[in-house]
Order: sequence, then structure tokens, then C-alpha cells
Amino acid sequence: MSADSREELRELSYAEAIREAMDIALGRDERVILMGEDIGVYGGAFQVTGNLVEKYGTDRVMDTPISELGGAGVAVGAALTGLRPIFEFQFSDFAALAMEQIVNQAAKIRYMLGGAVSVPLVMRFPAGSGTGAAAQHSQSLEAWFGHVPGLKVIQPSTPEDAKGMLLAALEDPDPVMIFEHKILYKMKGHVPEGYYTTPIGKAAIRRPGTDVSIVATSLMVHKALAAAETLAGEGIDVEVIDLRTVRPMDRETILASVRKTGKLICVYEGVKTLGVGAEISAMVAESDAFDFLEAPILRLGGAESPIPYNPELEKAVVPQVPDILEAARNIAKGRV
Amino acid sequence: MPVEVIMPKVDMDMASGKITVWHVAAGDRVGQGDPLFDIETDKAAMEVEAAASGYLHHRVAEGTDVPIGQPVAWIYAEGEDVGAPPEAAARSAAGTAAEAGPGPASERAAETVPAPEPHAKTRATPLARHLAAKAGLDIGEIAGSGPRGRVQAEDVRGELHQPPPSKGAAPAGFTAENGPLAVSRSIGGAGTPIILLHGFASDAKSWGPLERHLGDHPIIRIELPAHGKSPKLRISGFADLVCEVRRAFDKLDLGSAHLIGHSLGAAVALAIADTRPKTVSSLTLLAPAGLGPDINGAALAGLGNATRPESLGPWLKLMVCNERLISDGYVRAAMSARADAGLRSAQSALADAVFPDGVQAFDLKSALDRIEVPTRIVWGKQDRIIPWQHALRAPGRVSLHLFDNVGHIPQFEIPDEVGKLLRAHL
Repeated sequence: MSADSREELRELSYAEAIREAMDIALGRDERVILMGEDIGVYGGAFQVTGNLVEKYGTDRVMDTPISELGGAGVAVGAALTGLRPIFEFQFSDFAALAMEQIVNQAAKIRYMLGGAVSVPLVMRFPAGSGTGAAAQHSQSLEAWFGHVPGLKVIQPSTPEDAKGMLLAALEDPDPVMIFEHKILYKMKGHVPEGYYTTPIGKAAIRRPGTDVSIVATSLMVHKALAAAETLAGEGIDVEVIDLRTVRPMDRETILASVRKTGKLICVYEGVKTLGVGAEISAMVAESDAFDFLEAPILRLGGAESPIPYNPELEKAVVPQVPDILEAARNIAKGRV
Repeated sequence: MPVEVIMPKVDMDMASGKITVWHVAAGDRVGQGDPLFDIETDKAAMEVEAAASGYLHHRVAEGTDVPIGQPVAWIYAEGEDVGAPPEAAARSAAGTAAEAGPGPASERAAETVPAPEPHAKTRATPLARHLAAKAGLDIGEIAGSGPRGRVQAEDVRGELHQPPPSKGAAPAGFTAENGPLAVSRSIGGAGTPIILLHGFASDAKSWGPLERHLGDHPIIRIELPAHGKSPKLRISGFADLVCEVRRAFDKLDLGSAHLIGHSLGAAVALAIADTRPKTVSSLTLLAPAGLGPDINGAALAGLGNATRPESLGPWLKLMVCNERLISDGYVRAAMSARADAGLRSAQSALADAVFPDGVQAFDLKSALDRIEVPTRIVWGKQDRIIPWQHALRAPGRVSLHLFDNVGHIPQFEIPDEVGKLLRAHL
């Protein structure tokens, strides 16, 4: 067996891939520190930091008090003064508590000081529904932050991207927010060894197709791929685009796909109204790709509802594979 | 969820309609826009098209009188389970009104069903518009196959590659023929066939009243270019028009035929009889064009321009002497047959080519002089479109039948009289 094929076979879970990225970063750059609630001995709310505290010590893998605002403030200050902090939130929902530091400080300091300083801060947010954690621990809030100039917002959907995009985020001179879907943490996939980066701001075509373009984010990429498999058996050839970065959005990959298929479905877990899909739809409608549309643009997004605790209702309020199948059949067969 | 097919409201006073014939068998596939069934109200008859594509189920029987807004069938998507007929949406939408009693409820429910309105703007996808603009095609002239009649890119591509010949099914009792123009042939019949050529801004269905009085002859109806289901060809002048219709006539390959034409169709019939004397057994010209320069140009323009019943009605009334024959329902049905903006603009272009500046630019007097087959002219003396006095230019061997208190369309105003007259010579 060649070295190459052994490399092909190496699989890690999404959580392991993030841990490996942080391990590599801590090892190669002494400015990198980890901060967050219960990330030390406990290993993180979702066991992503694991035992890194044993390897790097409490000076570099630092438990913060139960105050997101305080922790984020320290992280912004540390980034301003020369460190490369990675700040973990227990749930992305708690970003609401740190809004001042994220939106008014981290996103704006470089601009307001005329570029004299920057805030090279990486923030990690376990996000999304599907774990029975109810309304305050299950939201998909990436669109909130996608609205703020000065922030970068990414949603890796595979272990390989989770590692490569985290390392790319650390190289970025500005604040980067990583939304990690909790359901993805256990997903396994090929992850290359060693140091590499996956560019921020570039979408990935996960499955090329000619009939319908689906632009999906995070966990929805996998639901779209499952739907695409079924649809292929029905003669509907779906192109699945993994957006990967909410801000800055990769216009060209989306527009090229729409020019090819003329039919676009956006699938995202955040609330449909004023969400990521609204921006994608408007961007396409404003572009020259409008001329290539053959059907109205469809959006599948979260319902106008807090995420329910009841597991059946929890499934019902976010797009599922049958929803994607129905939308794709309708748009492909000219029913809309 | 299957799509409900309801009895449409085509007339202000209409409470119910009778399904005279289904064009699609139960369980058969139907395409959106395909003719689905014919209805008859106390004032009008019209064809209703399918609003969706799929498989037709739960049809009500032919001859059934159905209150408007009530379902007459359901269209199921491919693979959709067909169980018992679903509850009618119109009924549940009417809510308490429907439970109040059959009389007023059906009227109230009727009000919730909008009459089919001709759309002024063309529905088309951005790509279809883009392709049409690039090819120099008028998007309004392209028939749409998408939802709500939306023009899709494939419709434009189809138009570019091959102008579709006779599309759609033939009317009840008729079968469609393949050919350059829309031709339908009656099923059955014996003896020498009768060929019918309708007039400007009309179509094959206009022959309905007369056909009942023509006996047992096979009937063949040819639709002029840019009329009915014929392609919207660009016609450069009268000779070009005759050329297109004669091509359809030749393709029928008949040993002999009686030719009956009305108005512009009569002029075409005369020109065909002039050039195909051996095939034509007799010629009947109803209020023919081509025998003098005058014609009501305002009416031609008005028919072509009308986009709603209110503007079409006055011109239709001008066509007849007894204006009460033109009911609101009749006007609505006529407008719905002219809902396609592309059809209207193609007809206006045709009128401009053969009647430039409101003048009959072609003179068939010499053709009429040459005609040797038995020929008769039938005209109403209250014709407000073409003066009946043009008939007086006919040579002596052509018989003239002039009717008082009849306008431009004798076969519509007095179909029994005209039929009796024709039968005597067929």
C-alpha cells in the first residue's frame, strides 16, 4: 500500500479535525491560545478541545468564567495586543451575550483606528438544531453576523474543511466566526495530515449537475447531497454547492451554476426570512445570471418559530430531505 | 394534492354550464393548455383548456349540468395516488355560504371564482426573454408551456427550430390533420367533402352553427395562418396568404370538394377555385372580400387591438344586424379565444398586409369572371364590414342570395336559411 493511499484512508471526525487543527496551531505558533468555558479539564461542552490542556498547559488552554461578554472582551484585547486567540462559545446562541465585543469592538476597531491595529480573533460556535437542546441552544444565527462588515463568517461542512478553514482563519488578520453544526461533530471524513489551509470566501461544488442548482450551508449540504442521490435516480441532475463562507460570499461559483442550470434552490437551517438564502436569491436576481433563470428561485429555511423541544417538531421546523426532494422535483418539472 | 378542474364562469349571468364533450379520456395524460372539455351555456359555447399537466380522473359525465365553481374533474401528478375524489376546494372555501342552501350559495360561490381574464403581459422566464430577444422573436407571440402559461426557454427554442404546425387536439367530433396549417376533419360523413374557410379574426369553431345544417357530408375546416391553432406565419400579402392555404388544401389530396368561405376566407376560396378548378365542385362565398376596395378598416383594427371583452364587444356587434345575438357571454368566450397577445398581433399584421390602410388591396373580379364551377354569393344587406353591393360585380352565371336584416356573418345570424340554401346545391 502506497503512502498516498494510506493518506486517502485516514478519517477523522469533524470534532477531531478541529482538535487536530488547534493542536497544529498551538504547536507551530506560540501566539496561539485557546479560551472558553470548560475547555480545559472538562474538554469543552462538545469535547472538541479534549485533552489539549494536558499537552499545552493552562496558560495556553484557558478556562474563562461563565461570562461570554467578559471572555470575549479578554479575547479581543489579547488579539489586539499580539496573541492569536481561539475563543470557544459553548453554544452559538450565547453570542447574544457577547454582542458588544463581537459587533462593536472586534468588527470595528481596525476601521476606527485607521488600520493601525487589527483583531486576529477566531471564534468557534457550536450551532444548529437536532440535539433536543431546545430554543435557547439550537439556533442558526450566522445571518446575524453576516450582516456586519468587518466580520468573516464561515460554516465548514466536512472534517477536511473544518481543519483547513480553522487554520485559514488563524492566518486571517481580522475576526473570523466559525459556525460548527453540532450534528456534524461526530461525522467522519477524510482529513489530510499536517498543516494546510482551505480558503475562506470560496464555495465548493460537492456534486456537479446540470438541471438544478442547490446552494446549501453546513448540515444542509449533506441533506442536499442525499436528496441529489435520490433525484439522480429520477433523472434530475442536481448540482450541490456548499457555500462554506457566508461572508464574504462566493458570488462567482453560485452565478456560474445558475447560468448553467437556470434553476436555484437555497437550503439553510437559519430562519428563512431575511436569512442567508434571501441574500443569495437577491444577489442572483441582481446579477446577469438573472437572464438565465428558468423558474422562480426557491428557498428552504427554518420556520418562523423558536426551535421546539419536542423532537418531532424540532425536525419539522428545519428543512429535511423530503422537503428538498419536493422542491427539486417541482422546479425541475416546471411546476413552479 | 391533485389540481381541481372547475366549471369556469364565462358569462356574467351564468349559473351553470353543461359539459358537451371531454377531449381527454379518464385516466389519460393531459398537458397544461391542452383542450380539456367543451362547455355550453345558454348563451355561448367554448373550449376549456387544462390548467395543469397530469392525469385526468373523476370526470363528470358528458351532458352534465354543473354549477360554476364546482369541480368537474381532478388532474393528478405523475405517480400521485388516485383515491376517492377529493373534497372540492371551492366548496370548502365558500365556507358557511355553501351550507346555507343550494340556491344563493352557488351564486355566492360563483362570485369567488374569477372569470378567466386575458393577460395583457406575457409571462416568460428571464431565460426565455433573453433567448427571444437574442433571436429577434416577440416573446408575446410564443405559446408558453410553463405554469400559468409561462413561456419557458424550450418554447423559444422550439419556435426557433421548427414552427410547430397544428398543435393541440382537434375539436369534438373532428380529428387533427398534419400539415402546414391547422386542419380538422369531421369523423364519419359520406359524399363529397365540404371545406370551410373562416374569415379574419375568426377560427374553425365559428362554423359550428352552420355545420348542423350541412347534412351528412364530411367536413374539413382549415384555419387561416395566424388564426385558431394555425402557426403565426408572417404573411406579406394576399398572394402569400393564398399560397399558404392552398398548400394545406393540396395536402388534403381530395378528388373533389365543395368550397365554402366567409369574408377573407371566401376570397381565399375563390382564389383556390381559380387555380384548382378540377378539384373544386362548387364554390360558396359568404360576404366575400376581394370584390371591391371598401372595407371597414376601423373594425379590422378594433378586432385586432381589443384586449378585453369591453373593447371587443362593440366590434363584434358591428358584424351582425341583430346585436342581441352578441351576448356578454359570447363576447367573453370570443375574447378568451383571442387571449393570446401574439395571436392578436399576428392577425393585425395579416390585416395590414391584405387590407393596408383599410383598403382591400386585391381584386378578384377577374377570377370570379373566369370561374366555371357552380358559384353562389350569400350576403346580408345590413353588412357593416363590406358593402353587399360588391356582389353586383359578379358575372351573370353566379347566383346571388341577398338577405334583409342580416349583417356580415349570415352563417351565424341565419344558419338554418344558409344551410337550406347550400344543401340544395351540394
